[in-house]
Amino acid sequence: MSGDRAIKWSYMDHWRSDEPSGPRDQWHNRDTMDRFLKQVAAVGFDAIDVFDFRMLWILSSYGSVANYQEFVQERGLERIVNIFHGADYDPRDYAPHVRETHPAILEDFRRTMDAWSGIELDNVIVMPATRYYDMEPITEDKLKTSAELWGRVGEITLEWGVKLTCHHEFYCGIQTRADVDAFYSYADPRYVNFFLDTAQHCIAGVDPVEVYEQHHDRVTGFHFKDTRTRDTNDDRRLRPESELMAKTTDKWFYEMGTDEGLVDFEAMMRAVRDHGYTGWISVEHDKANKQGGDYAESTAISRWYAKNVLERIYAEEVR
Amino acid sequence: MSIRWSYAINQWKPNIDDFVRRRDHERALKTISISGFEAVELNVASFGPWEPLGNPFQIANNFGTAAGFRGFLRDCALTGASSWFYDPGFGFVEDRSTGFDVRDPEQLPGLLEKAAWLAGALVELGGDRLVVRAAPPAWQGGALDEAQLRHVAAAWNAVGARTAGLGVRTTLHLDFLSALRLDDGLERLIDATDPAHVGVTADTAELAASGIDPVDFVRRHAARIDHVHLKDAREVCPLDEIAIPVADLQVRAGGGPRGVERWFFELGRGGLVDAEAVVRALVAADYDGWVVVESDQSPHPAESAMLNGWTVQKVLAPLC
Repeated sequence: MSGDRAIKWSYMDHWRSDEPSGPRDQWHNRDTMDRFLKQVAAVGFDAIDVFDFRMLWILSSYGSVANYQEFVQERGLERIVNIFHGADYDPRDYAPHVRETHPAILEDFRRTMDAWSGIELDNVIVMPATRYYDMEPITEDKLKTSAELWGRVGEITLEWGVKLTCHHEFYCGIQTRADVDAFYSYADPRYVNFFLDTAQHCIAGVDPVEVYEQHHDRVTGFHFKDTRTRDTNDDRRLRPESELMAKTTDKWFYEMGTDEGLVDFEAMMRAVRDHGYTGWISVEHDKANKQGGDYAESTAISRWYAKNVLERIYAEEVR
Repeated sequence: MSIRWSYAINQWKPNIDDFVRRRDHERALKTISISGFEAVELNVASFGPWEPLGNPFQIANNFGTAAGFRGFLRDCALTGASSWFYDPGFGFVEDRSTGFDVRDPEQLPGLLEKAAWLAGALVELGGDRLVVRAAPPAWQGGALDEAQLRHVAAAWNAVGARTAGLGVRTTLHLDFLSALRLDDGLERLIDATDPAHVGVTADTAELAASGIDPVDFVRRHAARIDHVHLKDAREVCPLDEIAIPVADLQVRAGGGPRGVERWFFELGRGGLVDAEAVVRALVAADYDGWVVVESDQSPHPAESAMLNGWTVQKVLAPLC
């Protein structure tokens, strides 16, 4: 962690703005990226996280990941902290619980880490399981097979100095409290870390503070975001997709600090402080533009909340 | 010498039934705060309950008192209101008052009363500048003749003396539709007003759209400038267009015969205003006061405030 602040804030790679050619994300061209980065920096974020599948855009527009990071730094942000690994999780060839698919997954990570070797990263974030409906029933054997895979992946990523860390979407195969606990009991703590997404756990009916209390020594990062809805309809089983296409919930995610949010961020921050966590906290509010929402405003509101509520809690004495 | 950075709320209010709920206000004010601005400039307006921040009547209706509204601003991590923009041509539906023609000396008592009322509330909000539309638009009577100019100057001198007694300076604002663009009206009015009580606002985009170099204006009038509106413009509005009837709607809002879609833009994105040169000129003049960044006509208020916040933090404030 550079600098003298114990907590710094990174912004995760989601954006949409109305351009003359229609709604676009920040990767549309260099001007949209310029304005995105300036807005993120203006409200006090220190860095960004990106999806690793953005490599194609990076190479096309900036030539190399190092060049892109320089573009980021010229706008007042420190660096790229984490990458989120995008994969299709097709059970035929990319399923952590299916041992036969492991060689392809391991090779995928060797290629990924090599592609990103031009910059220093803290974490590569993964969803540790396929979609729920492609993994159920969730068995001890499937959890052990998945844990074994991620241990081997973590060994690979550490060769590049990057931690492998797992992010449990509410619709993935490892999302109940019991299965999360079992997974980490099987996974090698040297190589498999925990990336805690406050909203995803909340939707899955898992208290994010309680699960952090249990696994805090494995946690290498966070997505701080909020939700107003729990999955009470078995949405995790919804085909083909439940994060964008759930029948009863048009919008799962909101920026932290939102009214009617289910995540107790003040308790979360007290727990983070009390366990002596220092480092990066990533802020995310994917799909913020749904139902008339606005990414720029959500980003400002979330950083306002981090500065005026959460940083003050962190600065208080440990209980 | 110090510059304090404020942001104008006007861009968030495009229509009567937008930006009415308190949650909307809270989100806008927090966006302004976290983008690096200390305070907010309010815009005097009146459309009954649908203008909750438009005047002291509605602020009292919604927050009990002006002090109550200041508490709301503080809860959003702003210090208060820096200033209030007031066009005396508009009346208030709340007390069924009509607007005032500053060219008519018989209307001065009413104007004095309203200005004092606004200034009193502004003090409670933490502000110290009543920014006034200095003259009617050109389409409402053309250039000011000598007698009219004397009356206008006398009106603002009287208003300035009255608000000064309350702790608020009255400051003259030029807009690009103003009658003051004709027959050297702006310079004549500045000369005719009392520097002790009446200041001058340098609105960089309105000046640029009027064909006036804002940097040169700041240098020439440094001793009178006591307020700044900082924004960019990309078009100069020619004098024949400001004579079009109801130019406020037909030209400023409607784009006029050339179909100008948007007169004002965020800082540092290729317009007529060299914001860095403006700030350097202010610093050279030992300017001590508010710089209110504006982005009225922005199609995307939060984005504009955040982009302007970046420019202020990374480019302009380091010049001070």
